[in-house]
Amino acid sequence: MRKMDGNGLKVVFMLCLAFVTTGGQSFESTVSQLLRDETEDLKCFVDRKKDLTCFWEVEEARNDQYTFMYSFENKKKMPCVVSSRFVLASNKTVFFCKLPKTLFFVALDVQVFRDGRTLYNRSLKAENVFFVDPPRNLTVMSSGKEGQLNVSWLPPLLKHMDDIMIYEVRYAVEGSHMGKVEEKAASTTLVLRDLQSGTRYKVWVRVKLDGVSYKSYWSSWTDPVFADTLPSDMDLLIVLLVLSIGLILFLLSLTVILSHHKFLLKKLWPDIPTPEHKFPDLFTVYKGDFKEWMSQNNGSIWGRSVHVFTEEPPSPVEILSEVSPTSYDTSPREERKPTEEVEESEQTDSGLMGGWREPPHANWLMEQMRALQENPESLSQSTLLQSHDTYVALNQNSQHVQEVSERQTDDVFEETLPLQALFTTEGTSSLSASHSDLGSLPQSSGSGRLSSQSSFEDPNHTWPPKGPGYTYMAVADSGISMDYSPMSSSNIAELRKHRIYTNEYKNEIFGNKWPFSSQHVESGY
Amino acid sequence: MFHGSGLFALLLMVLEWTRPGLSSPLRPICDLRVLDLYIKEAWDAEAAIRACKDDCSSATNFTVPLTSVDFDVWEAMNIEEQAQEVQSGIHVLNEAISSLQAFNQTDVIQSHIDATISNIVSIRQVLRSLSIPEYVPPTSGGEDKETQKASSVSELFQIHVNFLRGKVRLLLASAPVCHQGVS
Repeated sequence: MRKMDGNGLKVVFMLCLAFVTTGGQSFESTVSQLLRDETEDLKCFVDRKKDLTCFWEVEEARNDQYTFMYSFENKKKMPCVVSSRFVLASNKTVFFCKLPKTLFFVALDVQVFRDGRTLYNRSLKAENVFFVDPPRNLTVMSSGKEGQLNVSWLPPLLKHMDDIMIYEVRYAVEGSHMGKVEEKAASTTLVLRDLQSGTRYKVWVRVKLDGVSYKSYWSSWTDPVFADTLPSDMDLLIVLLVLSIGLILFLLSLTVILSHHKFLLKKLWPDIPTPEHKFPDLFTVYKGDFKEWMSQNNGSIWGRSVHVFTEEPPSPVEILSEVSPTSYDTSPREERKPTEEVEESEQTDSGLMGGWREPPHANWLMEQMRALQENPESLSQSTLLQSHDTYVALNQNSQHVQEVSERQTDDVFEETLPLQALFTTEGTSSLSASHSDLGSLPQSSGSGRLSSQSSFEDPNHTWPPKGPGYTYMAVADSGISMDYSPMSSSNIAELRKHRIYTNEYKNEIFGNKWPFSSQHVESGY
Repeated sequence: MFHGSGLFALLLMVLEWTRPGLSSPLRPICDLRVLDLYIKEAWDAEAAIRACKDDCSSATNFTVPLTSVDFDVWEAMNIEEQAQEVQSGIHVLNEAISSLQAFNQTDVIQSHIDATISNIVSIRQVLRSLSIPEYVPPTSGGEDKETQKASSVSELFQIHVNFLRGKVRLLLASAPVCHQGVS
């Protein structure tokens, strides 16, 4: 027994070595699969070398003596050497016997004896128990068409039997357990159709003999191969269309914007009107100090007029609320300006100065003005001059002028001069063509006369009663620090509605001469 | 009279020699699906006869060819030896199946027998198309060579199927005519 055990071990070792060199691992996998698939207790198979092997599993590894006998065509029975092996994949021990010679197309009788008693008895034909290897080189590629995949593989190495193989292709969406199967005979390529677009698929293939001449078990499945189907043409088309339309719209909008960029810029980011160009160096050199600028700038348009202003004392302005319609006829007048100044339309500002009458309480006003001039900061606190309380009233027509001129032609001319000064910029003699800021003032005619009324913030404010020859002009300013922000051209229309003329009046006429928060200008007859 | 019979004999000799209608060269039939068709029909016949459990015909003791194939031995044989083994086996099978017609059997079995005989004729044509040497009867008594005995009709048809599946198919698959141009 010990010798037999020693010999048995040697045989087992040699057989194991033989199986390892000839594909021992395939034997294990074959055995594992047949243990699941073959229903017979004594399982037999023919490998690719056309050698038949029979095996059976053992529950408990005991030292039983097995005898294997076989015979072809009912001829003399011959013994076969039995070996054992532990199959790791199945966690089982099997005894097996590989026949030294295998005959096909003839009946084979196999018997297994254990301890002299028949354990298994089976009659089979070798050509019916082939076990083929799985297909090789499985390849899955997109066919170039939507929802299709090209599957190709190579048959297992089995001599003379390539044309009798049947293949089974299994495919499923990656991650899904629901798969489909397609059978293909002889050919080693297959086109999978009606697949989902833009989806990743998993593909397996297995093979068996067709059973006409040779029969076999199904081989094991190949390792899965993954492949993606092409995305839907419609999806690609929609994306391309959307992108192209978006690009076209973008280019069109860009073209429009670039061609009208100036207009758009003007609309969206309008220039803040600034009188800097009319006051050279005022803001750059003199930092807004109008008084200083006036004093230094002798050759400018406003300079001379301002110079004239500086030469003469400020003319008094009457507060509207204190003006009576009949008290101005005999008011003393100031001396006229020099003639040469009057002749120049640009110096109408000076005429303004000369044209105002001095109200009865002019001295009080004079003092106020001087005080304000000396202390401009008191503007905001001035109780006398409040922007809310004062307003501009210009009501003069040709008739009034004519009437006045009959009495005092010079005065009339002087009276008109201030109006011209108010509403002219540089050399424009026509009052109708005066500042656009003041264009809202209703103008009687284009003769240069101006007839306007304005009151702001208090539409219900009652004007002082207008006499037959009275002209009122009140100007309210918000301060010498000119804030042009609200005075854009677009706001002029608003101002026209609300009749606010504060900044324009002040900046053009009075400037640094009267740095008041508000002013009253009145001329009456 | 002599001239008439002489001319007639000459004509027969010429016809026998030329064998019009039979000597025309056949296109080689290398497609094994043709043989597979005959094998499938042989399977059907074997299954039908097995179903009637040997009660279909009273005939017994048939001489049939050997069907076993040892691939190592077979591949060691040359084409002529393989051809001789196949042709002699077909001849023996044909005689055994043809002898069934003398016995009574059912119509179903009779139809299978007729189909089998017809298929054997076709298989001979296929072998001829592949330029396989014809059967040459043994000069000396060699009937037991490469033959065996079948005790029943069912066994006869099993032998028939196995012979076609094995030796005949291997011969057709390795026919030199079908492998010309393939190195």
